[in-house]
Amino acid sequence: MPFNLFKEKAQENPAVIKHWRKNPKSIEKYQFVYNFLPNPDKKRRASLISNKAVFIYCSLIVIVTLAFRIIPKFAPGVLGYASNINVKDLLEYTNGKREEVGLSDLKLNSKLTLAAQEKAADMFKDGYWAHVAPDGAEPWDFILAQNYDYIYAGENLAKNFSTSKEVVEAWYKSPSHKSNLLGANYDEVGFAVVNGVLNGYETTLVVQMFGRPREPSMVASVYEEESVLKESVNNSTLEPVKGSQTSALESSSFSPSTVVSTPKVDMTLAAKSISLAFGGFVGSLLAIDMWYSRKKGINKFTGQTFAHIIILIVVIISVWFVLQPGIVL
Amino acid sequence: MMEDIKEHFVEYVALLIGMAVFVVLLVIYRFDKDALLIISGVGSAFYVAWGILHYVLRKRLTRTIVYEYVLFGILVFLLLFTVFSI
Repeated sequence: MPFNLFKEKAQENPAVIKHWRKNPKSIEKYQFVYNFLPNPDKKRRASLISNKAVFIYCSLIVIVTLAFRIIPKFAPGVLGYASNINVKDLLEYTNGKREEVGLSDLKLNSKLTLAAQEKAADMFKDGYWAHVAPDGAEPWDFILAQNYDYIYAGENLAKNFSTSKEVVEAWYKSPSHKSNLLGANYDEVGFAVVNGVLNGYETTLVVQMFGRPREPSMVASVYEEESVLKESVNNSTLEPVKGSQTSALESSSFSPSTVVSTPKVDMTLAAKSISLAFGGFVGSLLAIDMWYSRKKGINKFTGQTFAHIIILIVVIISVWFVLQPGIVL
Repeated sequence: MMEDIKEHFVEYVALLIGMAVFVVLLVIYRFDKDALLIISGVGSAFYVAWGILHYVLRKRLTRTIVYEYVLFGILVFLLLFTVFSI
């Protein structure tokens, strides 16, 4: 509390100075409230939402964001993305999008599925995230390695997504991936959903390979599709692979249907929590500031508290409901 | 506060429209990280500009208020960036 205010209070009521002399702790308490409430004497906001405090919050957020980038280099697999992705749902959502525009459903092909799994395993093994491998291997090389003779082929990649629906929605929102998803030249598809540690982050890679066989008679039958899905269901839950590329390779020999990834620290939850904690804290103090200033008739020489609250509410809603992790390639 | 809003109704309507456009763009481009970076940057800059203009029109702009809006603009950008950059 400012010394002047202390003096004024004491002059107003001599009993106050007597009380404070006897209970010095009560002065600290009196001063402490101005961390949360606007100061009528200085005509300022609470200390915890002063410009200095907001600068400190910004610095802390930058430090945490940097920590998210640095930790994986020293402790691979600690940070990651929780996911629950399912081959059956990926196929259903993909065909759902095709049906919306009047295209025929894609059939699940075992060779394309194996090619997709080999591609996912290769990305974990060599630590890359691209259509073309560092050794120059292209998506078509993985497809041809499975003796799939095609006239048209394509590849969509996704990582760090939480659900199958988000993966297909993200592909659909991207023009180049959408052209694959709704490609009229494709009859068949293969999926790989594989967990592993990529560049220090535990994540789930999704590979989608499209194709049209040279011989129309080779198009996957309903029986083949069911057997691929059945095999997937038998290996439905795959525990997350931690820090080992070999394990990722081994896991890729399965055809996992539902891949559940539960890293030690879920990046999505951590980032959202940090953002909401800072935004919520500052927003709450601003709301208290507005209410208290009105109640006590304090006119401060500061920016528009109401506008700050509105923008923070918009940010909190966006962070909670709109922004989701995940990258498509 | 209500008097201020009534008196400068157009300014507040502009702010609300700007925020609505901001949210709509975030929804449309929620899977495009590059677009989210631009939208968040432009959205934050819009808020800083609105705040400064708000006080320029009242002839009450001070350096502290400029710092305040710049800091809130940075805070808004960082709160969004922390989530969409992961």
